[in-house]
Amino acid sequence: MIEIICSGLVATWRSIGNTLRLILRTWSGRIALPIVLLHLVLTLFGPWLAPYSPTAMPESIEQYQNLPPSLQFWLGTDQYGRDVLSRVMCGAGSLIATAGGGALLGIMLGAVVGMSSGYKGGRVDEVFMRVMDGLMSFPTLLLALLVLFTLGPSRFNIAATIGFVSMPAIARVVRSTTLSLKTMEFVQSARLRGESTFYIIFREILPNVLPVLGVEASVRFSYAILSVASLGFLGLGIQPPSPDWGLMISQSRRFLVIAPWVALAPMAAVASLVIGVNLLADGIRQATRMAKEEKHE
Amino acid sequence: MSEKRKDEIPLLEVDHLAVTFYTPHGTFHVVRDVSFTIQRGEVLALVGETGCGKSISAFAIVNYLLPFHPGESRVDGTILFEGKDLIAMPDSELHKLRGSRIAMVYQNPGTSLNPTMRVGLQMEEVLREHLGVESKQAHQRTVKLFDSVGLAEPDRIGQRYPHQLSGGMQQRVMIAMALACDPDLLIMDEPTTGLDVTTEATILDLMVDLKRRVNAGILFVSHNLGTVARVADRVAVMYAGQTIEQAPTSAIFKRSKHPYTTGLLQCVPQPPAEDRAGTKLRSIPGDTYAPEEGNLQACLFAPRCPMAQELCRTEAPEMLSVRDNQQSRCFFWNNVHKEIWGELEPRDEGLRESVEPVLSARNLRRFFGQWQRKYILFGPRVRLPVRAVTNIGFQVGTGRTLGIVGESGCGKTTVARLLVGLIPRQRGDILLRTEELAPLIEGRTDQQRAALRMVFQNPTTSLNPKLPARHAIVRSLQKLARLSGKDSRERAEELARAVRLEPAYLERRPEALSGGEQQRIVLAAAFAGEADLIIADEAVASLDVSVQAQVIKLLEDHQRESGTSYIFISHDLGVVRYISDDILVLYAGHIAESGPAECVLNIPSHPYTEALLSAVPVPDPDAMPTRIRLGGAVPTLRERFQGCFFAGRCPRKIGPICDNTPPPVNTGPDPPDHAIYCHIPPEELMKLQSD
Repeated sequence: MIEIICSGLVATWRSIGNTLRLILRTWSGRIALPIVLLHLVLTLFGPWLAPYSPTAMPESIEQYQNLPPSLQFWLGTDQYGRDVLSRVMCGAGSLIATAGGGALLGIMLGAVVGMSSGYKGGRVDEVFMRVMDGLMSFPTLLLALLVLFTLGPSRFNIAATIGFVSMPAIARVVRSTTLSLKTMEFVQSARLRGESTFYIIFREILPNVLPVLGVEASVRFSYAILSVASLGFLGLGIQPPSPDWGLMISQSRRFLVIAPWVALAPMAAVASLVIGVNLLADGIRQATRMAKEEKHE
Repeated sequence: MSEKRKDEIPLLEVDHLAVTFYTPHGTFHVVRDVSFTIQRGEVLALVGETGCGKSISAFAIVNYLLPFHPGESRVDGTILFEGKDLIAMPDSELHKLRGSRIAMVYQNPGTSLNPTMRVGLQMEEVLREHLGVESKQAHQRTVKLFDSVGLAEPDRIGQRYPHQLSGGMQQRVMIAMALACDPDLLIMDEPTTGLDVTTEATILDLMVDLKRRVNAGILFVSHNLGTVARVADRVAVMYAGQTIEQAPTSAIFKRSKHPYTTGLLQCVPQPPAEDRAGTKLRSIPGDTYAPEEGNLQACLFAPRCPMAQELCRTEAPEMLSVRDNQQSRCFFWNNVHKEIWGELEPRDEGLRESVEPVLSARNLRRFFGQWQRKYILFGPRVRLPVRAVTNIGFQVGTGRTLGIVGESGCGKTTVARLLVGLIPRQRGDILLRTEELAPLIEGRTDQQRAALRMVFQNPTTSLNPKLPARHAIVRSLQKLARLSGKDSRERAEELARAVRLEPAYLERRPEALSGGEQQRIVLAAAFAGEADLIIADEAVASLDVSVQAQVIKLLEDHQRESGTSYIFISHDLGVVRYISDDILVLYAGHIAESGPAECVLNIPSHPYTEALLSAVPVPDPDAMPTRIRLGGAVPTLRERFQGCFFAGRCPRKIGPICDNTPPPVNTGPDPPDHAIYCHIPPEELMKLQSD
């Protein structure tokens, strides 16, 4: 079983490298990659690159409170006199990790449910898909709020919740791809040589679902970022004083008139990340189409 | 044509046409050097294998290349239509020519018609658009045109939507539309390729008839030498984007002066002479010169040519005049004759006599769909199931080949799937020697799975596109021959060599292999478990003739060496006739006729077999087609047949007995295992058919 998963991973890695090469041939990909890379650098090295501590407050708050952008504080300071730039830089990590974890979990759950449902068909399919329909009929944010209220907000719970609520849409897409793959002769051949269902799903079908998953993953990731930010804004995300973009926007609301920079900086950060990820998704979509065309020639 | 003046300008003159596509993935020389002329009232056939550029050449004539490739394309050479250059012509003028003076018929009539419009309206639209005919007149013209292409009830057919017409009727409507404006040039791109052989025969008859009535030049693009022999006056053969030979039809088939043409003709299974043995099939070694490759200072066929010389590799031949009206692109055309590909070897019969059946099936039955009540819980039952396979039984002898023939929808693929257990049978038994097989593959033992293997029609989808070609073979060895990882890799290389592939090919992804190479990988995987019986479902249908011959030869060689039995399913009677020892003719889920091949193919035969045989296009222009044609369409199979399953279309129907009594089994005159399901006794059939 481990062997099956390992060889599956090798195939996955190869197709990722190939996709990356194709992404750079599209304009969306060329614009998106620097934006996403910048955010990635902030995620990994933000706390070291930040000029000030994101959480520590100066001794005389009044003196440093809500200062406009200057050479000393590039993006100004917030109500507690903390440097906004440092807080934005350090907030990237937790947001991207939580959103990424959530999206990844959603992809994995969705892929497994979708492939099993599509391949097995019949009653299994019926039960799985009706449950997914049920989940989909709830507004995403409301469902997430419900779960977080009962479980309590923590980074892990947020990621799990986002994974859970993004699963149905992914499962549907994967299921429809699996349905068309199932009728193909190579799947029939695998059945004829006596392969197990587990083998057919993970070794024969999964590599062919990956391109679809790649596109889905990027779309889901951008949704997840918005969800994490929204939950933070509503106070159900990462708790203060840790820097969190959603929370920062929510807290600076009251000072929007006198100190708009405190809210604008995290807003711009969220927006640019989402735009970057969406463009990247577009790039991946074009890349998979190009890969398909290459195959036809 | 002979009475026409010689100095008259030809209707269409294509000279040194070249089409190149520039794409992000490279440059493709799809058409390199194509020249031909068409006179008024003449049918020129453009033949060649997949990728030789025949369709693109045809589309280039009407400058219709955009839909094929979004990239940049470039057209060189000259295309003169009545002396006017079509390439230099402005688009607006060309647009006027298209549809009114030059008309096209495409391969797939199903997608060429607008599915949301009644066909009559579509026709009237063409008439109004191009000829400005009034509505009322347009309707009358439509009826007349539908009548002229042999559509039954021409005044009512216009009321139907495309999906309500059969494939043959759709193609007739397309031809009627093309004829609507009395075109001078008609371009037909594989007009019969998607159709069943009996429907194809009727469309070809229509073409022969049209040729006499319409004074238009017809460019007929096809890959099938048989259809070409039936309709064409002259033939231009293409290879790797070049016309390599051009001659009157009879000259092409009898005195070809290019090695490729002679080779191609020998790849098609010939109807055997008196004895069934006949001669071995021939194949052309190697692969076609791909469009990605640049133009060479050499003959492009030289790498595959048995008579290639130094000159062929250093200089590119032009079209050389062989005699009046025949040209060949070969320096040594004078030396070309049938034997350049070697002596035709007679087939050895080997171990074909056997008594013990390896597989026997009895009373197989499979219906699709379910009965439902009209209202929930109440009301009459409606929507009967499709009776795909009704009560079919047969035996396959050890080391023998059973051919199953029939048109699409006759149940042949369903039979294959029932045998291997991809779908469960609803009734009947399948015995592998003496063991009863479970209905589904999952319920069978590993030995049983290894004993019964299957090869599918489409090699591209038979291999996982994301995994190297090796995967299919290695996994089959591990699962069916119980080999360990290392042994299986070694054995896979042996198998690859057995199907004439270098082991390095095993590492490639399927997309990097040609169709023939893919199918050989699939065969190697099928041979892996040392199967007792291999079921090949249309295994060569999607391959070009030269490649098809390679695959058939591999199957033959394997059978001789290992004594494996085959069930060979095909709609192509020529191929089945070549490879089979026994033949089963299916129609509408029933057996029409079964028995040893030579009995089934000779008289007396079931009226359906007779119709099939006479519909097969023979690559010989002198072969007089037997005039038995089937009208109507294959029944829907939702009703149970009260009488004979073939009664609705039978040309030899004798009376009400055919409609209300199921036919008895009659055995032929000599061997007792020749069975004909017909009310007419064999002696009578014999008399009827020998006229």
